[in-house]
Amino acid sequence: MQILLVEDDYPLAKSLQQALQAQKYVVNQVSTGEAALHVLDTETPELVILDLGLPDIDGLNVLQRLRRKHKSVQVLLLTARDSLEDKILGLDKGADDYLAKPFEVTELLARLRVMERRMSQVKSSVITIGAVAMDTLGQQVTFQGNVVELPRREYMLLKTLMEQAGRVLTRASLESSLYSWGEEVASNALEVHIHHLRKKLGNEFIKTIRGVGYKIPALQVEA
Amino acid sequence: MNSIRSFILTGTLSVLILFNFIAAIQGYRSSMAEAEMLFDNHLLEHSQLMTLLDFSSLDKPVMTGSNMVLQVWQNDKLIKSSLDAPETLIGDGSPGFDFANFNSYRWRTFTRSVRSDYLIIVAERTDLRFVLAENVILESLLPSLLGIPVVGFIVWIIISRGLLPLKNLSQLLQVKKANDFKSVTLGHVPNELIQVIDSINSYVQRLERVLEREKRFSADAAHELRTPISALKIQLHNIATEAGYESENFLQLKSGVNRLQHLIEQLLVLYRLTPEQFQNTCHVIELSQICQDTIAAFYPVIEKKSQSLELEEMEIDSEKKKLEILGDTFALETLLTNLLSNASLYTPPGGQLKVIIDADQKYVYITVEDNGPGIAESERELIFQRFYRSKSNAVITSESATNGGGLGLTIVHHLAQLHQATVTVSESSLGQGAAFKLRFPRLCS
Repeated sequence: MQILLVEDDYPLAKSLQQALQAQKYVVNQVSTGEAALHVLDTETPELVILDLGLPDIDGLNVLQRLRRKHKSVQVLLLTARDSLEDKILGLDKGADDYLAKPFEVTELLARLRVMERRMSQVKSSVITIGAVAMDTLGQQVTFQGNVVELPRREYMLLKTLMEQAGRVLTRASLESSLYSWGEEVASNALEVHIHHLRKKLGNEFIKTIRGVGYKIPALQVEA
Repeated sequence: MNSIRSFILTGTLSVLILFNFIAAIQGYRSSMAEAEMLFDNHLLEHSQLMTLLDFSSLDKPVMTGSNMVLQVWQNDKLIKSSLDAPETLIGDGSPGFDFANFNSYRWRTFTRSVRSDYLIIVAERTDLRFVLAENVILESLLPSLLGIPVVGFIVWIIISRGLLPLKNLSQLLQVKKANDFKSVTLGHVPNELIQVIDSINSYVQRLERVLEREKRFSADAAHELRTPISALKIQLHNIATEAGYESENFLQLKSGVNRLQHLIEQLLVLYRLTPEQFQNTCHVIELSQICQDTIAAFYPVIEKKSQSLELEEMEIDSEKKKLEILGDTFALETLLTNLLSNASLYTPPGGQLKVIIDADQKYVYITVEDNGPGIAESERELIFQRFYRSKSNAVITSESATNGGGLGLTIVHHLAQLHQATVTVSESSLGQGAAFKLRFPRLCS
């Protein structure tokens, strides 16, 4: 995959480029916003890793100008700022993900894999985790190769969990998605749906974090 | 001097009373002298009158007022006297004014010798003179005595009017918020206050600049420190990838970098969450929500150590009320994350962590407990000090010795104080281990 790395700190940029190249990514690196916008016009990469603190143009500004022309490019923001407003602002302006410095390389690689998956999903639209495969286009779920029939709510719940595999989704956020699907949510509705999903997909697939929420293990086990 | 108003009021009234008093004494003395002269003249006139009388032709006793007596002596013989005059010679017989005591009063006497064989003595009670003088002085003093409360009241009003700009200024400053750096302006500023207001305004401006610089420093420092640390971490990753394995020395270097990162993060938190900043970002926060979010975000750390973590919400009221407190989301998340990270750090792999939410009428409680080695009673006070690290042998693992920056619980303490919460350390309910209990004032909806 082609990555454009926009980062002005030389040691960071060089070492990051090296780390990404070791993962077989093709990495171009520029250190100013102007240069980034120029490269984007000539040779559009699939993914941009954009530092917000650039010497010439503010990173958010670069992001805005980038989005005007290139709708499909995935953008991962890197920043030393960590306030919530910055994060929300970045995502509002069209970033796909956000990572605060200093980060673990493994975390960055995991995020890149998620973004890659999202891009490939547009083509294949199949998420596979362990023995469970979900075709988001055909709205079909298979478990160990066999098609599993899921009611709409259970399907949406499973989709939410699988799309964000590896993360703990809190009860509140899952319930609010249930609400947004127009369901009347009884106090134990979430448990009931999870219970049904487990009966169909095995007990180990969805993990409970008591009092907090649920998670599905990540696609790949990280080192 | 506690109050300018009472200082001026008591000062003014004291001076007023003092001068009235001095004037009264002076008036009394001059009235007394006047009265003396008046009465002496009176006596003189009386005795003058007596000389014109033919004493031998008088057979009835001489009538005088009860305040006056009269004696007429002829060659040491009392030939005439008023009714209440004594039988003996008043005074020593030498002519002129004098004082004498008889009839249990003090008298002013005037002795006059007439035609060398007569002695006319006229005497008048002296206390009457005092009464007269006192009456005169009392009448002149009374209006000013009665006037003092009136003067006090008027002075009070004048002072109040005079202090009004000061009062307005202090009210203005009182309602001024910590983050309000607008200049202070008053409608009519008296000359004395112009300097004060100018000083306040320039002080506020300086403060604003300092705070602005602090804010910028905090953001700059974050950037300046986080970027090189990121580079260090990536370089470490690259070295490990290149070498294909992680040597003991490499692992030590890695944990050193992690420790540096941790310390910087904690210092930035401590730096950023000052009480002034906190006031501006304070809002209503639902406890169970923020606990769920924090735990969800922290879960990877727990998973890495194969520990378990659960959240338990006690049934508090029969009706399901949301538990709310006033606070700052970032601060509360940092607080809880610090407690969780502390618990996870000091609990061996496979251990158990638990967060409990509880409440009563006045308070809400968040308890973070683990089944690690726990904290000795002697250490429970010390752990909140800056850079203190538990020394009990059971606790030191290679991980805790390097990862814990020693600032985590200081920050917990600081953030709890910002939220008017208390932190107490006790035994965990999980058989063994430590429990950190936060107590927040409950927000009643």
